[in-house]
Amino acid sequence: MSVRRLSAGRLFSNTLVWGYAFLILGPMVWVLSNAFKFQIDILTGKIFAPFTWRNFEQLLFSRQSNFLANLLNSAIVATASTLIVIVIATMAAFTLARLKMPDWIRWSVLGWALLFHMLPTLTFVGSWYQMFAAVGLHGTYFALIATHVVFNLPMALFLMMTFVTALPEDLIQAARMDGCSNGAMFWRIVMPLVRGGLIATSALMFIFSWSDFAIALTLSSTDTMTAPVAIATYAQEYEIRYGEMAAGAAMSMIPALTLILVGQSFVVRGLLAGAVK
Amino acid sequence: MFSEVKSKLPSIRQSVGGVALGAMIATGATMAMAQSQPTINIAINQSPWLNSFIAMVDKYEDETGNKIELDVTPFGGLLEKIRNSVRGSSGTFDIVNVNSLWLSELYSGGFLAPLGDLRDGYALQDGVLDYGSTVSWNADSGTFAADGTLMGVPLNGNVQVLYYNTDVYKKLGLSEPKTWDELMANAKAIKDSGDAYGFIPRAGRSSIVYNFTPYLFSHGGSFFDIQADGSLAVKINTAAGKAALETYLDLAQNAGPPSSGAVEQGELIQLISTGRGAQAIAVIGAWGGLENPEKSAVVGKINAALIPTGPNGGQATSAGHWVGGVPKNISAERQEAAMTFLDWFQSKEVQVAYVEAGGVPVRGDLGDSSLAGDDRYRFIDAYSANAANAVMGLPVAQAAEISDAVALNLNRAVIGELSVAEALNGAADGIETIMKREGYTVTRGPNL
Amino acid sequence: MKPAANPQTGDTTKRNKRWVYLSLAPVIIVFLALSAFPVLNLLGLSLFKVTWQDGSAIYDFVGMENYKYLFNEEEIYWAGVRNTLIFAVSVVTVQMLLGFTMALAVMRAGSFGRPILTGIFLLPIVIPPIVIGTMWRLIMGREFGLINGLLSMAGLPTVDWLGNPDIALGSIMLVDIWHWTPFVFLLMLAGLESLDTEVLEAARLDVTSFWQEMRHIVVPMMLPTIVITVVFRIILSFKVFDEVYLLTSGGPGTSTEVVNFSIYRVFFSQDRVGDGSAMSVVTLFAVALMIIVANGLIQRRSGNKGGEE
Repeated sequence: MSVRRLSAGRLFSNTLVWGYAFLILGPMVWVLSNAFKFQIDILTGKIFAPFTWRNFEQLLFSRQSNFLANLLNSAIVATASTLIVIVIATMAAFTLARLKMPDWIRWSVLGWALLFHMLPTLTFVGSWYQMFAAVGLHGTYFALIATHVVFNLPMALFLMMTFVTALPEDLIQAARMDGCSNGAMFWRIVMPLVRGGLIATSALMFIFSWSDFAIALTLSSTDTMTAPVAIATYAQEYEIRYGEMAAGAAMSMIPALTLILVGQSFVVRGLLAGAVK
Repeated sequence: MFSEVKSKLPSIRQSVGGVALGAMIATGATMAMAQSQPTINIAINQSPWLNSFIAMVDKYEDETGNKIELDVTPFGGLLEKIRNSVRGSSGTFDIVNVNSLWLSELYSGGFLAPLGDLRDGYALQDGVLDYGSTVSWNADSGTFAADGTLMGVPLNGNVQVLYYNTDVYKKLGLSEPKTWDELMANAKAIKDSGDAYGFIPRAGRSSIVYNFTPYLFSHGGSFFDIQADGSLAVKINTAAGKAALETYLDLAQNAGPPSSGAVEQGELIQLISTGRGAQAIAVIGAWGGLENPEKSAVVGKINAALIPTGPNGGQATSAGHWVGGVPKNISAERQEAAMTFLDWFQSKEVQVAYVEAGGVPVRGDLGDSSLAGDDRYRFIDAYSANAANAVMGLPVAQAAEISDAVALNLNRAVIGELSVAEALNGAADGIETIMKREGYTVTRGPNL
Repeated sequence: MKPAANPQTGDTTKRNKRWVYLSLAPVIIVFLALSAFPVLNLLGLSLFKVTWQDGSAIYDFVGMENYKYLFNEEEIYWAGVRNTLIFAVSVVTVQMLLGFTMALAVMRAGSFGRPILTGIFLLPIVIPPIVIGTMWRLIMGREFGLINGLLSMAGLPTVDWLGNPDIALGSIMLVDIWHWTPFVFLLMLAGLESLDTEVLEAARLDVTSFWQEMRHIVVPMMLPTIVITVVFRIILSFKVFDEVYLLTSGGPGTSTEVVNFSIYRVFFSQDRVGDGSAMSVVTLFAVALMIIVANGLIQRRSGNKGGEE
């Protein structure tokens, strides 16, 4: 039956994915190409235009810009908040999804998480500013990391619960029969088995933290300003400096993608090393 | 047209580099003076004029030995940062750079120290513009007032002016319009020639109230008036308002680009700087970009003029300047340091240097200065003339809310969803609802 | 359970109990410390009118006044509700179908190029949102935009993507689909990868066509992941802001007004925190309702399928 069907299916699949990849890459390449153009050529919509490094120079060497520091801040905040949120969310997800516990606790935690996630973030930012200013932590990495953790926590919690729930029940039962404690079961069985979900979720958490503007704008100071806030400074009152924005986008995407991909292989290796299967 | 621009680029870039190098040497060389006052922390937005302001900051540091730190924020986030700082028990910023749209909120909330409290009887220096009395506030009537309390010093001048493309004018034999009818005649001639759009309105929802204000006031109208007894009379739904909106729509629909209801400041400047639009009413703050060959295809071909006069001789433009205010919630010592800078900044000498560095001055008397006759600064006369007519269309604390309500009605008229009468009646309803809820006694005439 | 003879049991049970509390503690602490005040503050503010005088805030309790005003006077918010519903239903549907199809296709396309493809598919969500908005505004520009440039090169009529009130919302949906489909893709891929291969292989013997396999095996097995992805896509699409703010600012007219943009204007630009909070609370109910409806639809469809077999 299947050799021909399989290869036809494969051909179709390949056409589909590469076609879609083209739809993503087309606009993307064009956006990034603006990083090497003068504003007037961008405004007139030229596809091919004289080449310039000017936008990168502005971003990297101008007195008003400290973009490498902004990138570093983004990397610190996004990495730290992702690590924290993924560990605490997965631990809690395992407990909530698989262990015996009072129902009211389970539903309060999940209900609150959903409620918190459904309200618009921008309405919270003022409260957070007040809280951190009151204890003198405004403008610190701590403030940014902590708020990104809580901001991402609901989604991380629900996603990880879904992945933990999908684990085969007999595996958990078998481990319990062997006298495995909940803690051991979590680290040795659950974590390695949900690594696909773990990777996807942490990638998303990293991306949300990396691209956050509303929180970082208010809670960061000049020293802790993150890349999206820095890039936003080029959307100005009288002009949008497309070239600098595109250059900033290019420079912020590369480390983000690298960190996601490197982080993935790191997570995979770490989990496989811990696994006893 | 394009090859010409391109060939200019290398020399321009060199000169930019040269200026930067010169500035670095200058700041490096003069470090002798000792700092006598605390460092001033200024909340300011990133903008095309920021470089010129930084040049003045450097100049101040060199001349006085005092230090200034700039907290540079995206335009879209500055108001939030200012609110956070001035609402706390002790503020981060010593000077806040306030956009004209936010002035009423900050004045009425009592966040800024009246300058007369900081220095007895302080007044702005002669020659400094007050942009429709927006530097002073009358707390009793809750509105801007020339005889109110002085609250701040303008840091960057900005009003709307009439821009036109001199190439197009020359080719078609047009001259600077004095009235709205002449502007319309020019616009139609340009449109008929097929070279460019005759006129670009800034009729998007975020822009239209600001853009429409000169039309309204030059026709003798207003959005509303605050009466002597503190009540509010809605005036938008009057014959003057109708004539103004009809003029606006005529230009937008018969000489503007299709779908001008989506044109915000970005598109307007894009159309002018690429040469696709030949006339527009826009802020003088856009001038620098239009004169920069990296950003504009019309360098040297744009001129600024007085916004046309209404049927009964009325003249108006809307203010879009920035005002430096000193928060109440900082120490007296820091307030005094801030005052020293704000006072220094107003002098004619500093303002001339500000213009030379690319800024828009806050004085109206630079026409007789060393800038006169220099083609690079040919905008100064038109700017000063317009600035003298500046008005704040919505001079109350609820400006943002009223603006959004009015804007939606005007915008819907531009895209043809509402008639002139419906739009103005709807705007009047909006103003009435909002201000009644605020406890004002509101009167209004019959619907159009 | 293990017989009591096991000497470790008592110890393990205690440890297990401790684990339950220890594993939940961080989440509960983080929520209490950082979300309790903002949420309660927001809910509470919806009953107040806040004004500022002499640099300090004055809170006037107004009861349900803000809600009354919202229902009677804020027509623009309700235009936004309508647009947001259309927006959310459309983009979530398209994104789910597209994301699921692509995840499936990537699985079936074989290992060739899979990491590259995954990398490419992630690109749109890695760009800072503010850049997405500004750049698509250029791409969709009427006069000099990339798309219209290509259309006129091909001799086709150009389209006023953002200026025509009838299609502006559609254009924003296109951008949102481009931007957020990777979110769905990523989760669907993770879901597909973690399907139990043994169960899958066994079930495959019973079905004959690709569609049957999808309908009766893959989709039911993926259901929890699909549901949670739909829920979060609905929430996120109700929160759509950056794209609208930068592409159209809600115009022309009210054609692209969305609820989060209304909330932003009222809560932030106009500084009416009481009214803005009331809007947020009403929106919360709208989202919750939509999630319940969507969940019901998905569950019922899959329930029917179970019945057919």
